[in-house]
Amino acid sequence: MLNVEGLVKQFRIRTGLVDAVRGVSFSVAAGEILAFLGPNGAGKTTTIKMTAGLIHPDGGAVYVDGKNLVTERNAVLGKIGAVLEGSRNLYWRLTVLENLLYWGTMRRVSYRQARSRAFELLDQVGLTDRARSTVQTLSRGMQQKVALCQSLMHHPTVLLLDEPTLGLDFESSEGIKRMVRTLSDSGTAILLTTHQLDVAQELSDRVAMIRGGQLILEGTTKAILEKYSQPMYSIISAIPWPLNLVDTARKVMGNVAQVSPDTLQLIPQDGDTDAIYRLLNALHPHPLLRVERHQADLAEVFQQVMSKGALA
Amino acid sequence: MISLLLAEWRRTVVETIRYPLETISSMMTLFIVFAGLFYGATYVTHSPIGGGRLTTVVVGYAIWMTMMAATGDLGWSIQNEAQNGTLEQVMLVPWSPVTVFLVRAFMAILAFLIPMVVVVVALLIMTRVHLDWQWLALAPFLAALGTAWGLGLAVAAVALLFKRVGQVLNIVQFGLLFVILAPFARFHAVVWHLVSMVVPFNAQVLLLRNLLSHTRGSDWIWWESGINLALIATMGILSFVGASRIARHRGILGHY
Repeated sequence: MLNVEGLVKQFRIRTGLVDAVRGVSFSVAAGEILAFLGPNGAGKTTTIKMTAGLIHPDGGAVYVDGKNLVTERNAVLGKIGAVLEGSRNLYWRLTVLENLLYWGTMRRVSYRQARSRAFELLDQVGLTDRARSTVQTLSRGMQQKVALCQSLMHHPTVLLLDEPTLGLDFESSEGIKRMVRTLSDSGTAILLTTHQLDVAQELSDRVAMIRGGQLILEGTTKAILEKYSQPMYSIISAIPWPLNLVDTARKVMGNVAQVSPDTLQLIPQDGDTDAIYRLLNALHPHPLLRVERHQADLAEVFQQVMSKGALA
Repeated sequence: MISLLLAEWRRTVVETIRYPLETISSMMTLFIVFAGLFYGATYVTHSPIGGGRLTTVVVGYAIWMTMMAATGDLGWSIQNEAQNGTLEQVMLVPWSPVTVFLVRAFMAILAFLIPMVVVVVALLIMTRVHLDWQWLALAPFLAALGTAWGLGLAVAAVALLFKRVGQVLNIVQFGLLFVILAPFARFHAVVWHLVSMVVPFNAQVLLLRNLLSHTRGSDWIWWESGINLALIATMGILSFVGASRIARHRGILGHY
């Protein structure tokens, strides 16, 4: 389990000091995926690198399974795996298998165990047949899968993933996502940063959003999406709505709007759970395609939180 | 520790075998540079280099090349890792960075010494020098190697902070040639003792020359070689650890 407590980081630039991270705290339990989201320059990468010990924080602490990263560095690093964005994470002149054996033994896994673990992981990502190919000959998607494998050679309890699916095609991206889900199911705590909000929504159990170095929203993905969903219905017609029917609907329910030729939108009064049924009665027997309640996605939540701040 | 040594050894062997052209070209470069220096000096001075001086030249050259490799490898290694995007992963392994990079340097010098031995044998044949090797000479050689790694760690410290070390290494390499060949021993005894303790390699190379040419030198030179090794190695380790802390503090480990 990962515990991050009150991380603070300032960087010195020409014009003075910049607060990159201001008192960020969060935790990721075993088997949980926390999506750590924010715009460029919000402090995501600085936070993830402080969590890995690659950047020294000015304040705060990082604990993995109760061990402090600073005072028990080697023990903590033995429990962390990381795939970092913007890095190759692998030696391009070595083969896939040589890379996995190298990084495994560097992380104190015996050669024999590293070999069997390497083939186990390659089997999971469907790259067994490329074990003896040099990394430079692989596609970007395959390289990313191998990078993920190398970070897992020592069975880490915490996995840090910085943009793991960036720039990958659909199939490769799905492969990485499947692997991440499997890891989470097997009890690995995963901290995921990404700009691909659909990926974050699909994978995460919890979400934390950061802006200007501060956490401004944190909670379970389900609760956040529910909180930001509005009591609003869309009634989608199989054919464009006739004008006379739209007028009839407006007379019955004042708060109906036609938002596109085939879509009517209803925003009921607070607590008026009967409104949608009254409207549907008024529209009977016009052929409908579907009726749906508004369900926010992470992209909408992100946009709203970043522009207006989090809801109370 | 053994797993770390084996991991680095396998990586070094794989890269050496997979890219044999690099090894062969480094051997040829070593040989051609010496031949150029040797025949060039003979031609310019109109006098053949012979006898004890020739032994000194061959030994000096081999030492200079080995020390240059040992000094430069750590800096190049950091620069290449940063450029290739693997430096951060190296910093994530549960070993101290000093240990990892010193083990790498050790493996790199083993891989370097194989072609170096071939070149030295070729040089001995070419110059018809009979090198009377003494196992005791291994002691100053190893002391010089340790000193080179100490200096290499200082260069690596610069690489950690600034990443590009090409120019620094150029200066260091010619500085090395100077300190290996400069006749500090002709200075006043007190000055020489002080200089030999502070300036890298000079005492160790003089000791090596003495041993190989059966010249009896002062016993102090053993102490001075050891003190020089301890001093430079400590300076290297401290500067590398310090630079690593600064790089982590500034968040520039992965920058290039």
